Amino acid sequence: MDNLREDLKKQIIEQLNLEDIQVSDIADDTLLFNDQGLGLDSIDALEMIVLLEKYHGIQVTNPDEGKEAFVSINSMADYITKRKG
Amino acid sequence: MIYIGAEEIISPLGKSAEENFSAILANRSGISLADHAGFNGDSVYISKILDLSEENKFENLITTVLNQVIIKIDNKIVSSERTVVLLSSTKGDLDNNINDQFGKTIATLTTQFNLANQPIVVSNACISGVLAINTAGNFIESGLYDHVIVIGCDLISNFVLFGFQSLFAISNQPCTPFDASRNGITMGEGCGALVISNSKMIFKEQPLKLLSGTSANDANHISGPSRTGEGLYRSVKRTMEMNDLLPADIDFISAHGTGTIYNDEMESIAFDRSNLTPIPLNSFKGYFGHTLGAAGVIETAISMQMLRNQMLIKSPGFETTGTSKELNIVKENKPANLRTILKTASGFGGGNASLLIQKI
Amino acid sequence: MSFITAYCHITSDSCLVNGEEIVTRDSLSNDSWLKQIYKSQEFVYPKFYKMDSLAQAGFLASELIKRAQPNLSAYQDDEIAMLFGNQYSSAESDIRFKKSYEEHGAPSPALFVYTLPNIVLGEIAILNKWFGENLFVVLPKFAPDFFVSYAKILMSKGSEAVLCGWLGIGEERSDVFLFLVEKQGNAGMEFNAGNLHKLAGFELV
Repeated sequence: MDNLREDLKKQIIEQLNLEDIQVSDIADDTLLFNDQGLGLDSIDALEMIVLLEKYHGIQVTNPDEGKEAFVSINSMADYITKRKG
Repeated sequence: MIYIGAEEIISPLGKSAEENFSAILANRSGISLADHAGFNGDSVYISKILDLSEENKFENLITTVLNQVIIKIDNKIVSSERTVVLLSSTKGDLDNNINDQFGKTIATLTTQFNLANQPIVVSNACISGVLAINTAGNFIESGLYDHVIVIGCDLISNFVLFGFQSLFAISNQPCTPFDASRNGITMGEGCGALVISNSKMIFKEQPLKLLSGTSANDANHISGPSRTGEGLYRSVKRTMEMNDLLPADIDFISAHGTGTIYNDEMESIAFDRSNLTPIPLNSFKGYFGHTLGAAGVIETAISMQMLRNQMLIKSPGFETTGTSKELNIVKENKPANLRTILKTASGFGGGNASLLIQKI
Repeated sequence: MSFITAYCHITSDSCLVNGEEIVTRDSLSNDSWLKQIYKSQEFVYPKFYKMDSLAQAGFLASELIKRAQPNLSAYQDDEIAMLFGNQYSSAESDIRFKKSYEEHGAPSPALFVYTLPNIVLGEIAILNKWFGENLFVVLPKFAPDFFVSYAKILMSKGSEAVLCGWLGIGEERSDVFLFLVEKQGNAGMEFNAGNLHKLAGFELV
């Protein structure tokens, strides 16, 4: 499980082109879309959907699904685990 | 006075403005289902010109439409020193040359039609067409030119389709602007053209009057509209004030109406703030799809046909109000006393633009 | 009469404001040239990193012009128009977006939104909360006559100032030239094609 969270952080930094951000800057419960957290925006949310497909083979057909799943690294990890069944 | 006329449209609905208008009166739409067109091999609704070869399509559409326009005006105008051509397009001839999307087409136009002045490409996302017409009006008002030929053209390409799919912006049904069930845009391709001049005499058919308008940025988001419709509200306000018109003077609004949740909602808010909600309104995108850089020109041209024929045209696909501010969406084609039409457009980059056309 | 009151060049290895060099490119740096300017001038705007090179160049040059002409902030929020152009539209970003779906597995929305040349105007408007007129044109080369004529037209129709720009940005080269035109002059240069041609410094023929 730790590997998944670690991988997710690396993938987010890579896919979203997050400059000057290290894996250590993202806590498991950092609020990704909050300005006090990572401050991601709506386009980043769409890139997350691409990330899920590319790295985890998960297809998100409705972008609204992403809103709950992408709250934090923890919620993303849970979502991925659930979708992979 | 600034005159606007000689309008032409080439789209899936026909090869002339008159043909397109007849098709619309007959309730036809250019939208059809294209198998395997999507990024994942999915079927997608698009409005594609199917009876024209894909080879050199962009350039061919433009030279064809310009030839058609020339027949409708004094034939000395196109190569006059007092004339300039504006081309409104977002992606030009991208599939043939991604490095230089406009160079070859502009060079061909210049040579083939002996253009005296360097044509100017207006590339400002989806407001390009309306913006180009406003620019034309401004050129003429300032005396810089006497005649401006505005051409708008964009094709459907994998590039643009896949791009909009990545934004989850493509509708899974033919788009239904302003309707409660709407869920995205339908891509369209087409070519429109019209002539703007300070002289009535150059037109073979009676022209209309152009009251050129303004543009205003939302200053909000590069790909999402302002929740308060600030840019569109400001543009419409300035356009109407500049031309001394009140809401009651407007007989019809050709809105942008792309069919996305956010755009149509934003427009309803902007029109409400402008006290324009009682005015009959439609979106033409249910007929043509969203033709991007061509939209402003095609939709102004078809609005001109409405004025010539004194017919209100319905907004296809609309059944139930789907915006927080209720608009007076036209639900069926019907004869009407039309004198003044307001055309609006909104687009990526926060752009909003508006103009007015009037029967003389 | 109107005046050019501030201008900024970003060439392939030099960044100049009002003709004076303020940053020289470090060819040994791992950072892109535009990133070097961003860091050297100590800008703080994290969105910069998400922008494509057209938007980054526009951001940098407009911010440097604002620093050189602080009374820009005295204008109303819709009085400053933006009139920009270039030769190749958003070709560089278009190529990157095309690669994302042809080579990297899926079309990238973050790249797609920059495949329109006018996005740079949106970025500048958002940052400054400018609700004025915008126009982006594509021309075969920088055309002083066009910019002079149309900026003057805009100023006759409600704009009080026009931020003009030529964003000649490519993989290997940079011919970026932004200039501010205002109705009031002070120490500015008269706004005409001759002066503009000289200031631009491009090969126009």
